[in-house]
Amino acid sequence: MPDYCIQTNNLTHHFSEQEVLHEINLKVETGSIYGFLGPNGAGKTTTLRLALGLLKKQQGAIYFFGLPFHENRISILKKIGSLIESPSLYGHLTAKENLSLLQKVYQCPKERIQHVLNLVGLPDTGNKKASQFSLGMKQRLSIAIALLHNPALLILDEPTNGLDPNGIIEVRELLKKLNQEDGITILISSHLLAEIEKLVTHVGIINQGRLLFQGTLDDLKNRQQLSLQTVFETSDQEKTLRLMSDHNLSPRVENGKIILPSLARETIATLNQKLVASDVQVYEISIVKNDLESIFIDMINH
Amino acid sequence: MTPSFIHSFQSERLKTKRSLALWIVIIGGFFTPVIVTIIRLVQYKTLPAMYSSDKFWMQLWQNSWESMAIFLLPMGVVLATSLITQIEYKNNTWKQLHTTPLSLTTIFFSKLTVILVMMFQFFVLFNIGIYLSAIIPYLLVSGVPYPKAPFSYLYFLEQNLFYFIDCLPIIALQYLISMQFKNFLVPVGAGFVFWFGALASLSWKYGYIIPYTYTTFLFLKSGVANKAAIPDFNFHWLAVGYFVVITAVSYALYVTKKEKG
Repeated sequence: MPDYCIQTNNLTHHFSEQEVLHEINLKVETGSIYGFLGPNGAGKTTTLRLALGLLKKQQGAIYFFGLPFHENRISILKKIGSLIESPSLYGHLTAKENLSLLQKVYQCPKERIQHVLNLVGLPDTGNKKASQFSLGMKQRLSIAIALLHNPALLILDEPTNGLDPNGIIEVRELLKKLNQEDGITILISSHLLAEIEKLVTHVGIINQGRLLFQGTLDDLKNRQQLSLQTVFETSDQEKTLRLMSDHNLSPRVENGKIILPSLARETIATLNQKLVASDVQVYEISIVKNDLESIFIDMINH
Repeated sequence: MTPSFIHSFQSERLKTKRSLALWIVIIGGFFTPVIVTIIRLVQYKTLPAMYSSDKFWMQLWQNSWESMAIFLLPMGVVLATSLITQIEYKNNTWKQLHTTPLSLTTIFFSKLTVILVMMFQFFVLFNIGIYLSAIIPYLLVSGVPYPKAPFSYLYFLEQNLFYFIDCLPIIALQYLISMQFKNFLVPVGAGFVFWFGALASLSWKYGYIIPYTYTTFLFLKSGVANKAAIPDFNFHWLAVGYFVVITAVSYALYVTKKEKG
């Protein structure tokens, strides 16, 4: 089994003169749940559309399961289920008919139709046409379509759009189950880290067409650790800064407060003692924990 | 014919279920025969003489094809072809279709085959309708004899074949346009413009250049030939040629399209 289900090498794309993707090297490990994060317009959907052959590739290479995509398009697509952007459903057909026409293409057992409908919580929509479904129901049916042929890889572009909080949790649990029990690799894109933080094992962060971070969720959490800050507020800022510099620290001032990187408890205690001994009144000493969301926002803003 | 083509064709057929294109085929197939039947029932006094005529079937054939060949058939083809292709645009499903394990060739030709099969269905329904428009007045109006005129199976089959062939360039061109444009009005508008152009050029000696003229030429050829500059060569071959060339261009444009959903 190849290490990566999806791998792109220096994927670059232009719309007219504008570069929308710059040397994207995506690496989605087999068996992982890869969260592809970025604000709207960052290049997530373009990357996924390129990967699936919906856009003509301009520069770079795309591999699925270790094989180049364009030379092995059909055999690769047999193993992929996808949902790109808004739901793709035939509005004049029922949920079962929508699945049935794809069952004919994939030639999977007919029983899979009811199975996937049960999985996504649409066991009996009867003769109701897909056009009469709510956005949440459409999204669920689209997920059912992506799952119909029991794919080895699921590519889901913002699959929880339109779902209510309960629906989001249900989909999250379903994807976890598919990953853990059936070994399906999942690439899920989102513009909200909080939404997929509890689901993913790996993260890729893209902004303005550039991949800013790629690694495990633990790698990202380590960054969170590194980004801990100690904040001081005192009656004499100049004296405090001098004292801190004397201790080989590099303070900076933000919004009237003195910010230091993460400090050992003993160092904080020593600094406090020295400040008090120097007649500086200490109003506040606090530790600021940046959550993953703020790291993500920080990453895309710098 | 590969298994994937058959599976794709079955899938495409299912997409036409309850579609407007299918209703156009069904209603279009029976529209003229229903009108003919109603007229005959209204003018029931003329029926005994009409049904005794030696040319009964030929006259019925001509009456039925008059509006069909000139107006309803070209318009029906324009609408049905455009609607079938528009199913993907309207439902935003090109991207779904293009991520299925089907080659672009399979997708292109299975869709086209569905349109051709629907046109064949239309011809079958229309022929059944023509026959019923003869039989219903005979069954409902007393004193009307069963037509004794010879029923020229071979002639009618040949005419059906020619009308079908003459529709092919319209199908190919409408297919090409509707595959390229998301806006439904573009293929329909283009279809109307070509059809008007065809009507306007019927008496022009080079009118046969416009591929929408052939069904009208075929109808006028067997009746009022002096109303049009009907080409003195076998224009059905020209229809086949147009179909092949336009389909080839359409295929090339489809497979080289930069965005596929």
